[in-house]
Amino acid sequence: MASSPDATASNGSTPETPESGSAANGQDRRGRVRLRRAAVMAVPATAVAAGLMILTAQGALGVQFAISGMPFTVTATELNGTGFEQFGGLDNMAEDSPNAGDTGGQVLIVTSAIKNATLDHLCQSVDLGGTNLLITAGSGANKVQASHLTTDSTELSGDASFDNIEIGNDASTLDKAGVQGPKGVFSQQADTVRIANLRQTNYATTAAVFKLPGLKLRFSDQGC
Amino acid sequence: MSADARTDDSRDLREAFRQWRAHRPFWGGLLLTLAGAEILLTEKASLKVVLHIGMQGLAGYLLPTMMLLCGLLILFNPAQRLFYSLLGILLSLGTWLTSNLGGFFVGLLLGAVGSCLAFGWLPDQKPRRRLLRREPV
Repeated sequence: MASSPDATASNGSTPETPESGSAANGQDRRGRVRLRRAAVMAVPATAVAAGLMILTAQGALGVQFAISGMPFTVTATELNGTGFEQFGGLDNMAEDSPNAGDTGGQVLIVTSAIKNATLDHLCQSVDLGGTNLLITAGSGANKVQASHLTTDSTELSGDASFDNIEIGNDASTLDKAGVQGPKGVFSQQADTVRIANLRQTNYATTAAVFKLPGLKLRFSDQGC
Repeated sequence: MSADARTDDSRDLREAFRQWRAHRPFWGGLLLTLAGAEILLTEKASLKVVLHIGMQGLAGYLLPTMMLLCGLLILFNPAQRLFYSLLGILLSLGTWLTSNLGGFFVGLLLGAVGSCLAFGWLPDQKPRRRLLRREPV
């Protein structure tokens, strides 16, 4: 009903009397969407939305992330970060989550927090059953930048090197990335971190600011 | 068509719903409500992390919640639809920044379309020709 072209059906002379006036001739006087009125809002809104996307793709605008529920894969050819922390933890799924399976709704995860990170050739994919939602960004000189990046992952692989690493801290005493874990949990932290050929299986990623230059979002048969 | 096959009760109900729907921007409000719900569903960050990040993280939840409320208000208080739809479109566009790229774009699209439909809706329009013909006399 709403989308049919009705701009020519009647001229706009009908007085706007909401609800009350329609009681007498009630039956057939239905409210309707006037396309021209809708366009008054639709055109600028489309322009703003397009502007937002272009700015995001150029990396001029920070986008804030907060996702999980389903495991997703993140890969990058290189990750450089300052202020690195890592500790174990337990993530709870939403109650009665269909993804719970036989896990009881909990996943054992490693939380990695990086204060400032740059990633090269970032690729993120979610398996939606059959097809993958694929997001790629940051190739060449325009690298992906994130601040206060926190990931909850079940698998992490790559070639890593750390500066000034402290291994075996209590997770509640961490101070290099500003995130503290629970008391009595093993943790490690370092001033800088460099991981080549990074590959993570994540349940959650959050970042205060995530800049994605060269953003591409598409569906694909293959994940990262 | 098969209306006589139905019981009177369900026919009355359907007719009442049709009348109720005719006096408000039904699809606009519904789409905006769904958009808010969709974006909220894509947000599963643990609340602890969100609180750590602070106001910016909270906005990720706040905007889609407001969208949902605006959608419901358009449905149940259609007289104020202009304000709600303006607020709705601003919130929808804002979720691109705060909430997973607007719920992976789906929620943003639904919200924008819903707000525009609600904004363009006018009460008391002459029935369309196509509808007139179909109407039982």
